[in-house]
Amino acid sequence: METTTINTRSTLSCLFDPRVLGNNILECLTCGACNSRCTWFDGKGGPIPRQMIRMAALGLDKQLVESGMLWDCLICNRCTQGCPMGITMDQVVRKGRSLAIAADKIPPDIEKGIKSRLETGDVNGLTREEFVETVEWVSEEFVDDVNDPDATIPHDIPGCKFLYLPNPRELGINLLHLTAMGKLFYAMKETWTLSSFHTDVTNWGYFVGKDEIAQKIARMVVEPAEKLGIETLVLSECGHGYHVLKFLLPELIGREPAFNVMSIPELTIEYAKKGILKFDPSRNPHKIAYHDPCNIARKSGCYDAPRELLALCCQEMVELTPNREDGVCCGGGGGILQDSTSTKKRMISGKPKADQMRATGVTHLATACLSCHRQLGELSNHFKLGIKVDTVASLASAALIL
Amino acid sequence: MKQGAPSVLILGGGVAGMAAARSLNHQDLSVHLVEKQDQLGGKTTHWACMATDTCQNCGACLGHEMAKQVTDQPNITLHLKTKIHTLKKKGHGVEALLTSGKTILADKVILATGFSPFDPEKLPSLHFDTCENIITTAQLNTLIRQDRLDTLFPDTPFPRIAFIQCVGSRNKKLGKDYCSQTCCKISLRHSQKLIHEIPDAAITLFYMDLQIIGKEIRSTLETLSTQIELVQGVPSEILEDPETCALTMVTEDAATQSRVARQFDLVVLSVGMESSPDINETAGFLGAVPNDWGFFNTPETIAPQNLYIAGCAKGPKDILSSQQEGKIAGAQVLKEMGLTKTPDMTVAIIGGPNGDGPHGAKVAKAVAAEGYKVVALDAGTETKTLTLSGTAGNFSIYHGSLGKEQTLACGAIIAAPQACSRPNAGKGEFQSAINLNTFASIAPKDLPEKSLILLDYFGPEFKVSARLALTSAIAARKAGKEITLLMNKMLVHGTLGQRLYDQARRLGIVFLRFDTVDDIKIQPQTKGFHIRLREDTLPNIELIISCDCLVLPDSICSCKEFKNIATLLRSTLDRERFLQPANVRHRLTQDLRKGIYYAASGHDEVDDQEIETGIQEILSSLNAPDTNREETGQTTGVTINEKKCAQCLTCYRICPHAAIILNKKMRPQIMENACFSCHLCLSNCPAYAIESDNTHEMIATLLSNRSPLGKQKQVVIFACERSAALAADKIHLPQNIQLIPLPCACRISSDMILKALINGASKVIISGCHEGNCRSMKGSTTAKSGVDAVTKMPGISPGQITWEPIAANETDKFGRIIAKA
Repeated sequence: METTTINTRSTLSCLFDPRVLGNNILECLTCGACNSRCTWFDGKGGPIPRQMIRMAALGLDKQLVESGMLWDCLICNRCTQGCPMGITMDQVVRKGRSLAIAADKIPPDIEKGIKSRLETGDVNGLTREEFVETVEWVSEEFVDDVNDPDATIPHDIPGCKFLYLPNPRELGINLLHLTAMGKLFYAMKETWTLSSFHTDVTNWGYFVGKDEIAQKIARMVVEPAEKLGIETLVLSECGHGYHVLKFLLPELIGREPAFNVMSIPELTIEYAKKGILKFDPSRNPHKIAYHDPCNIARKSGCYDAPRELLALCCQEMVELTPNREDGVCCGGGGGILQDSTSTKKRMISGKPKADQMRATGVTHLATACLSCHRQLGELSNHFKLGIKVDTVASLASAALIL
Repeated sequence: MKQGAPSVLILGGGVAGMAAARSLNHQDLSVHLVEKQDQLGGKTTHWACMATDTCQNCGACLGHEMAKQVTDQPNITLHLKTKIHTLKKKGHGVEALLTSGKTILADKVILATGFSPFDPEKLPSLHFDTCENIITTAQLNTLIRQDRLDTLFPDTPFPRIAFIQCVGSRNKKLGKDYCSQTCCKISLRHSQKLIHEIPDAAITLFYMDLQIIGKEIRSTLETLSTQIELVQGVPSEILEDPETCALTMVTEDAATQSRVARQFDLVVLSVGMESSPDINETAGFLGAVPNDWGFFNTPETIAPQNLYIAGCAKGPKDILSSQQEGKIAGAQVLKEMGLTKTPDMTVAIIGGPNGDGPHGAKVAKAVAAEGYKVVALDAGTETKTLTLSGTAGNFSIYHGSLGKEQTLACGAIIAAPQACSRPNAGKGEFQSAINLNTFASIAPKDLPEKSLILLDYFGPEFKVSARLALTSAIAARKAGKEITLLMNKMLVHGTLGQRLYDQARRLGIVFLRFDTVDDIKIQPQTKGFHIRLREDTLPNIELIISCDCLVLPDSICSCKEFKNIATLLRSTLDRERFLQPANVRHRLTQDLRKGIYYAASGHDEVDDQEIETGIQEILSSLNAPDTNREETGQTTGVTINEKKCAQCLTCYRICPHAAIILNKKMRPQIMENACFSCHLCLSNCPAYAIESDNTHEMIATLLSNRSPLGKQKQVVIFACERSAALAADKIHLPQNIQLIPLPCACRISSDMILKALINGASKVIISGCHEGNCRSMKGSTTAKSGVDAVTKMPGISPGQITWEPIAANETDKFGRIIAKA
């Protein structure tokens, strides 16, 4: 057993401002409510929420870092929901990850991604030229897709109503998704654009807990968007991207941005309610269950928009149990999905989700986050669930009546 | 009652309201009691009896007994199924319009609207609304009360049952940063009851900090901890397996350093207390303003002058404390109306070894301030023997220190010795440790830089020590000192306990937890201490804490003079060797003898506030007008036939209330002011010299019932008026059952049983209080052994005569017994 001393003035302890709700780890009652809410269970390893809080509160920085729990934690904040004192786990874990002594624990993939993002504006290192080339190619295809010679996937057009911020996967392995989103904008009949200056909705600075990096990346989004003079920044389906840009942005950059922020499902349902977008649910002729991405649902409070949209564009929407505030993390949160060495681990952290998917008995599942989307698809394969996983917006696009 | 008599309005017919009504038993006063339910009793009507083989002192049965007394009280008008429509000030009093349409003018109002149990649907992840096998403590009570425990697990031979504590309590997020005070005790009693009823059940109790506070709770827990699993940490989510219906909770498993999913067949949510929804409405009419919690237990609340608040409307508390508060509120009203007795008697206070220990002195001061003559006495030593004779209102104390006369005549006696404090610091490995009192008395700025306060090391801490540890730690921390508090649990009793604990953590006082003392290794250094600790929440790390100063609270325990006091008062000590046996019929302040009271830490674990309240209750009893005797002032119903009396003095020796004295002719005489009418003397008199109307009537009844039922099987039940007979009151007895109420089960005698059989009864059941719940202390055990003796007589077949303990709230159990008979 390791021996150590308490250090209430440790580097980590000093990062917490006890006056801020969520930061108040000293107030931990050691009631253990958090432990019962962690979905990593029935297996060795994985995070034990109370131990993490206690190690942080007692200044056991080194033990916390060495325990490996910081990077096992999916920062889904499910445990936080049960805390009678309102201590917020993602704040604790992210501060722990930001420690200098934890630097070598950062998964190399994430480190590399952040480097690329800061240098090129894209985690995958897609250059501006490559971006323009890709978009223009997609745009040409798009004309045929919607059968309208004037249709386009525009980029860098100032003064548009909407600026769409895609997920890097939409410019890489999942170009069709970008086309699908283009269709939605096309049908809204509003001006919209992409920007070659900021191609990426993700912000991995959030994963590593380093606010200065998160801030830099956020500025890379905000400043060009403001320069373009758009009205609303529309986010691709991305959990942590949504949480950072919709909820943490003013805190990160120290001011309100000059535009609104919405996710594509939120915008789509708004236009559907206005009667501008119409859907044919028979194009998605199946019962579909919805997975709440933790960052969008529990951590940002957006539960209904994706559900309403699914109800319009699919045969029937059903719930996974538990859901909403109590939703189970896909098992790929907190950066674990972005770490290519953690694939095996993800199948353990995702086991409760897989069990839940199986218990629902559906063949189709939708979610509003491309990270969850990938993890859920892999769970379906790994556990032989035979469930097809889609994103909400792509289903909406497929059901769109043009 | 006189026309135009002053009147009092009591809102709420629960324990507090009924207790208030009882103490307002005065012919010159009219009392209106408004209750929204169709019966009196409040929450106790739904509360089950927690007795196992013996009474577990929950007090729920008292609600039923009080309901009967209040219903029979001549100066009370009951307004059942009624609520307040409007209430407004009128003159010096109030005018209340009831929902029944009646208008009541009252000079004073007692607010006793009780509490509401927390609704667990407010915590959706517990899935209380959807899972059938998740129930609240209230529902478990219903199951027990309805005698339906055996229906719970028809197909589960070894049911797994979990209790989750603090559901809706100690939760800042819900705005309930208070401890509900009673739930830990309730769950421990429930566990005991379940183990007793379902011996194969595996019970796990999940808690935050087990609140081990109060009379005999330490010994209860000690026994129980070998029978159930106690787990620190409360799950906040329950999942139901859709196929097996098993309830799953994830908990930390220290051994494997992982979380494990544990399954249970039943989960009981130990829900906290919330303020009653009626309170805002009712209080609002009168301009009373509760605190943020909806209670009236903190100084910032506002209550107008002629409004008295008692019971759980004031703040969470148990049945006995509610009763106490109600009684005090009633007494205060009486006093303000000038209806109390003039205090013209002497009260003897038996204090500490010198007669005036701090608690004794406090009691003496308060009693003297009320106008009584007070004499302080010590507990007696070998040279100053102390004996007591006489009865309430007329005691004689012989005491070596009283001078020539050497006897003291007094009307009442209050035993108020202080519990013993045994220092732990200064001995052995703790040579250089300091005790908590010393620590607390040093100016915070002069304290050493780093101190560690160690609680629960020499046994479960008493609440006064836990509180002193918190307050002195906070003071030291505010002066910039580093404070670590090492404990097994934090006692957060009292109104502000949780807030103090919250404040202490916020200030940066480090709280560490241990499971058993084996987890702690204390190493004295040349200066200060090193402590190696296996912290309970961090099982894989050994912590080393160094401190300049180790602080230890004294152990609080019974003193040797308690034995002397108990002998003097012809009483016994409780299981933990403190004064006053743990019988709910006498607690919180009374002895089984009238006119004798207990206050202070020598009889229970009390803080300053509770000592104060205890004194108030005693004064309420002392000041009570004669028409308001604690036990109604009717005659004893028992007389000694001098012609038959052989002066063997059996009665004198056995009377549990010492109500039989030797008069000047050296003959036994029954003193009305001390007698509880239990009839124990009657059934034990070898010369049949003690007679009662009750006897004659009963035999007459038995005789007259000889034939009307012909050959039909006749069952005769002798039932104690305070327990079984009250339980039977609520059911319609079939024709073949003949119920004969007795003042106490001990009234039974072999000839009565045999007479019943001779007269044609096929079965005789004798039914009384559970052991330990008898007002005469040993009445029910005496009855039980009497029954045993008769069953061994030749010609008695097995099962023909049985003893059944049935509490007043065990109507369903009574029903089952007669159905089987």
